[in-house]
Amino acid sequence: MQPRHLRLLATLTWLLVLPVAQASEADARAIVDRMEQLYRGEASRATITMKVETPNYERTLQMTGDSLGRELAFFRILAPRKDRGIATLKRDSEMWNYFPKINKVIKVPPSMMMGSWMGSDFTNDDLVKETQLIDSYHLDMEESDDQYLITLTPKEQTVTVWGKIEYIVSREPLLPVAQIFYDDDGEKIRRMSFREPKAFDGRLMPSVLEMQPLNKEGHRTIVYYDDIVFNPPDVTEDTFSLRNLKSRF
Amino acid sequence: MLTLTIAFRNIFRQRRRSLLTGLSMCGGYILFVLSTSLLEGSYGNVIDIFTLDHVGHIQIHQDDYLDRPKIYKTIKDQAAVRAVLEAHEDVTGYAPRVYSPALAYAGDKTYPARVIGIDTALEPTVSRIRQKVTEGEFFSASPDADGYYTAMIGRGLAISLELSLGDEIVLISQGADGSIANDIYLVGGVIGNRTSFDRMAVYLPLPAAQQFLALGTDVHEYALLVDDRNDNRDIASVLAAALPDLTVSPWQEVESTFYRTMQSDKQGNHFMMGIVVFIVFIGVLNTVLMSVLERTREFGVLRAIGCRPGRLVQLVLLETLLLASFSIGIGILLVTPAVIWLTEVGFQIPEPIDMSGVMFQHMKGELNAYVYLMPMGFIFATAALISLPPGFRAARILPRDALGSH
Repeated sequence: MQPRHLRLLATLTWLLVLPVAQASEADARAIVDRMEQLYRGEASRATITMKVETPNYERTLQMTGDSLGRELAFFRILAPRKDRGIATLKRDSEMWNYFPKINKVIKVPPSMMMGSWMGSDFTNDDLVKETQLIDSYHLDMEESDDQYLITLTPKEQTVTVWGKIEYIVSREPLLPVAQIFYDDDGEKIRRMSFREPKAFDGRLMPSVLEMQPLNKEGHRTIVYYDDIVFNPPDVTEDTFSLRNLKSRF
Repeated sequence: MLTLTIAFRNIFRQRRRSLLTGLSMCGGYILFVLSTSLLEGSYGNVIDIFTLDHVGHIQIHQDDYLDRPKIYKTIKDQAAVRAVLEAHEDVTGYAPRVYSPALAYAGDKTYPARVIGIDTALEPTVSRIRQKVTEGEFFSASPDADGYYTAMIGRGLAISLELSLGDEIVLISQGADGSIANDIYLVGGVIGNRTSFDRMAVYLPLPAAQQFLALGTDVHEYALLVDDRNDNRDIASVLAAALPDLTVSPWQEVESTFYRTMQSDKQGNHFMMGIVVFIVFIGVLNTVLMSVLERTREFGVLRAIGCRPGRLVQLVLLETLLLASFSIGIGILLVTPAVIWLTEVGFQIPEPIDMSGVMFQHMKGELNAYVYLMPMGFIFATAALISLPPGFRAARILPRDALGSH
């Protein structure tokens, strides 16, 4: 056969296969996108209780979390008293922490991104990058009767420590169930579960998030959403400024 | 008894030869004692420097804090520890401490630092911290009117962060409850100099450090001093039995790298001295052999009248050991003033050694039983060893051949 024919054949095969793959990928994208929108809709303000459990200590933090779109987030600790006022600002992929006692804003350096956020099992990276799942990963979906299992594998240019992420989403209602993180060797590293769906401001969403590192026995972090308000008037672009980060409250 | 009499007589039969042999043994002994004294002394000096500077003679920790320090491996039941330490009469002082790595900020500069929380009253009974304050003064345990605690910082940190007395230093670290420890302190003193082990340390009063690290009243370490540092391992094992839940480590374990280096250096010295003594004793062997050969006829007569061969070996051995005893006796008389001088005065070191701001100018010896007894034992053992071949030779003499010789 001549090279021209070869090329034609290849193109034809490609055209036949492509729509199927695309449809699946598109569905997966839509689902993941929707899941991400759940917590970080347009603008939101959440009241959160975070419980950190380790073999050595147990700690409960209360905080507020504001978000606007996917790029902007702002957390402020309300209790315990010792940590009151400590705040975290996330803009795009950058993060700053503010410590009122020493009146200092400290940028989280890239090397600390995998470090623990406020002593929890969440990393700083979780706060920054979580929203970029659909852009940085190849998505692959399997469907069962009541669940979608979406497997995310990092794209070549994506810088990440995860070799694979499994995202389990229930069909009815369409809500996240769990995320399982694997390292490059295919070893399960941690599992994030979403539980107890509740209607907040008319939207049904899981009210409890549990992060459990599978390589550290006795460690887990549970996040309880006590309340979420969508599109509150005082969450604006200004909320997510370094100036606001430093403001006493 | 008869053997002893004969041995004595033989030694004094050839006085000049015995004197010369004795002198060479005496010289070997003196050399050995002096070098051991100096080695023990200079190591003792170094040990004193770091044990009295910070380490202490014994340390008490929770679990394996020493090898794998973790902020939450703390000593919780301090009352029990203090009761045991108070009850032990050889413990002369103890001090609780907490440790944590931290980031130190001043202005726009950042440096890694080591936070050391110390009890302002107890710490000076264990370490030289009070003498090491080179600027400012030793801090007090309570915060000032505005609620700021005073910190004392290492000279290195003061230089790196361009801090002087009265400035603010900001510390950030990880608290024991997972929180981010952060607070401001005032610089009230500067410790040591640029080469001190604690040049990057930030000393905080114990309550301030415990509050900073969210430790409650827990501490990481108890350091203690004992009466005689040579007894520290025995005392450590007594304390370990009294405190079964904690780890009690003598300084030999705390500074195990140094300890192993020191042990191998000492072994090297013993080996060198062993060679010197061996060379001395080749001469002694010659003497003993000569004295046996020239007495062939005599030994023959002894054998002929019924003396057992073993007795002859004994005789030769006794002669050598007697000679060695005389030599060592004279050696002790001669070397003692020198050892005393080394211990009391010592060599002046051309360049004084500066340990954390405390100067050491003399290389000193050590005066104790070990310094005398170890070389003594070695000399006796070698003397016994080299008198065996001549002894056996004497034992093998046949009266028939011997009586025929002259």
